[in-house]
Amino acid sequence: MTSAVTTATSPRTTGPTPSGRKGRLTPGGVPYALLLPAFVLYAMVVLYPTLSGAVYAFTDWTGRADGTKFVGWANFAEIFSDVAARSALRNSLVIAVSVTVVQTLVGLALALALHTSLVTRNVLRTLFFAPALLPPVIIAFLWTFILTPQGPLNTVLRGLGLDFLAQNWLGDSSLALWTVIGVVIWQSAGLTMVIYLAGLQGIPTELNESAALDGASWWQRTRLVTVPLLIPATTVAMSLTLISSLKLFDQVFAMTGGGPGYATETLSVIMYKEAFVSGRFGYSTAIALVLTMIVFAFTMVQLGALRRFDVDR
Amino acid sequence: MSPITSEPRFTPSRRALLLGGAGFGALTLAGCGGFVNDDDGGGSGAESGSGAGGGTVSAYLSTEQNTGIEPLVEPFTADSGVELDITSVAVPDMNQQLAVQLSSGTAADIFRVSPGYSSNVAAGVLGSGGDLLDLSDAAWAASIDDGTRALSDVDGKTFAFPVARNSLVLAYNLAVFDELGLEPPTTWTELLDVCQALTDSGRTAISHGLSGGAIYLQFYVYILAGTLLYGPNPDLDAQMRAGETSFTDEPGWTEVFTKYLELRDKGYFTEGALGVSPDQAMQDLATGVAGMTVLTNSGLPALYEYSETGAEAFSILAMPAGDDAEATLMPTAPDFLAVNAAATNPDGARALLEFLAEPANVETYANALAVLPGLDVGAQVDNPALEPVLPLVDAGRTVSYANYLWPNGDVQQTMLQSGQQLYADEITIADLLAQMDAEYAKGTP
Repeated sequence: MTSAVTTATSPRTTGPTPSGRKGRLTPGGVPYALLLPAFVLYAMVVLYPTLSGAVYAFTDWTGRADGTKFVGWANFAEIFSDVAARSALRNSLVIAVSVTVVQTLVGLALALALHTSLVTRNVLRTLFFAPALLPPVIIAFLWTFILTPQGPLNTVLRGLGLDFLAQNWLGDSSLALWTVIGVVIWQSAGLTMVIYLAGLQGIPTELNESAALDGASWWQRTRLVTVPLLIPATTVAMSLTLISSLKLFDQVFAMTGGGPGYATETLSVIMYKEAFVSGRFGYSTAIALVLTMIVFAFTMVQLGALRRFDVDR
Repeated sequence: MSPITSEPRFTPSRRALLLGGAGFGALTLAGCGGFVNDDDGGGSGAESGSGAGGGTVSAYLSTEQNTGIEPLVEPFTADSGVELDITSVAVPDMNQQLAVQLSSGTAADIFRVSPGYSSNVAAGVLGSGGDLLDLSDAAWAASIDDGTRALSDVDGKTFAFPVARNSLVLAYNLAVFDELGLEPPTTWTELLDVCQALTDSGRTAISHGLSGGAIYLQFYVYILAGTLLYGPNPDLDAQMRAGETSFTDEPGWTEVFTKYLELRDKGYFTEGALGVSPDQAMQDLATGVAGMTVLTNSGLPALYEYSETGAEAFSILAMPAGDDAEATLMPTAPDFLAVNAAATNPDGARALLEFLAEPANVETYANALAVLPGLDVGAQVDNPALEPVLPLVDAGRTVSYANYLWPNGDVQQTMLQSGQQLYADEITIADLLAQMDAEYAKGTP
């Protein structure tokens, strides 16, 4: 039996370079050469740990060097059979949907309200944006103090005769998740507002003026002119909010530790606990992989949906 | 219990790497780039020597251990010529970082480990996994009492040095007790009477903060279990490990949680305890809002900080669990140091332990922290804060924390987290015990 061997070679690999100088960078290769150091760094710091993390999702790695065993899909099966993990998954989705929707609406409302000629607009914008500048853990500790059963919030409510509104905000499992959601929205709505303000400033004033001349009311101009033209800003704001809320960790961990019970646990929180408290790094990495897939899927769906509403200016 | 080590092991292959590649972009998006140890408490560095006569020993200590060892650092260096490079962090942070440091080869020469099998960085777990140096031949090993030895040894080998012992105590506000004419309770019935008197005075009887990790819940369990379960039956752990009984089957465990909930149901705990932080609970005691609280004696200095009169404002007692005052046992816990099996300066680390084991140094350490001596070397504690409970220690009326010989840390973690649900009446005692049994059955990792 004989085999034909193709010996043809590409002129590109054997002939002279377009510049005629072998070994010299072509103009088209310069950007790649410039990117190389950054890529090497990125590969070392991000790609390699990420790849190895994905591998460990299929093992029983305990964080110690010896004795890691391949367990196939067992870690993933556990995520969907474990009551605590399912609860965390549900909490993460509740947080993601509610924070994304409410924060977007609040941010939009703030932006519309402050996209005016008010003298105090810059002060107000700063006030609303300020919480977003603070580290989430600082915000969490601040609110933990405010929300204790005998804390300032309940004291004020009782002082106003609104005793029925005084609650164990972080100690009541039916309330704690919504309390955390409220704090997250309080902190981050200002960021969404800034994105929308940037979007509003990009809308040509002539469009609103024309609509006004045609007799459109403020509400009609907002609904039919401004909001449709804010779809790109909405895409950015909602995408950022969705991703950060799906990954929510800091505020939950600092305010409730995932409790009471499992009431506020998110995927990020149990990912942390499984790794650093229980030493189950393999299982924790599997949770990270699932979380990543969820983030990816939600983001793609959201981007696709918002693109349908996009308009040409 | 022998750890699971005999199954075939997996080495990540090219196929697995390719499989992982499918998810790397998404992982990057979520910012989950693997586990990176950013703790700087790592290895001993290039300057480390190799013997007790010089070099540097790196030490990764809890903040309490650092406080206790501080007066001994210079004398040790002067005595041995070995420098100490100490990094100190809070115990929860340490427990979370140490496994990673050991895995990555950046662990210090000497570090704190938990007792028994109570966490994934406990003496039993790390010792049986080959991460710790065998210290059986050290002179001080003969001075470890039997209770502590059960938590420091694996298969007859000593892997941990008890630098001190903590105890679980009930601290009370002296001014409040004086004002109401209350005597320290010595039985469960007396405890309930005192609680009622405090409640009737408009105070919180026992300040209790369960927000965050609910770590204070475990203290009540260990106190009650010590007297109700481990006192009458010192072999309980062996029986549970042999499968002869369990949390569910042993009636004493139900009694423990029943009594804990009795305190809640009678309104003796802080209102809304699930939303109250342990710090806030401590402040309530210090300011007289509450009359009592449970804590470890190593937590007393922090309590004193909240009071204008400091240590003089408080006293402590062994919390009763039954109506026979003489049967009350006080839970105590060894605070361990262990030597890294891959230590850069193992001789220096051993020299440090030998130095700490000298009776005078055991005393210095214990008095600095108001804790009990770790070794049975005749060291005397002269800290007045401990006087009320020292008779129990002298009489041997102590017991280990219940969780130390549970086979893994997840049993305790489940107890803490599901215990919050129990406190909120979302699950029953039977539910909780069944969950703990399930974690117990998983054995040692």
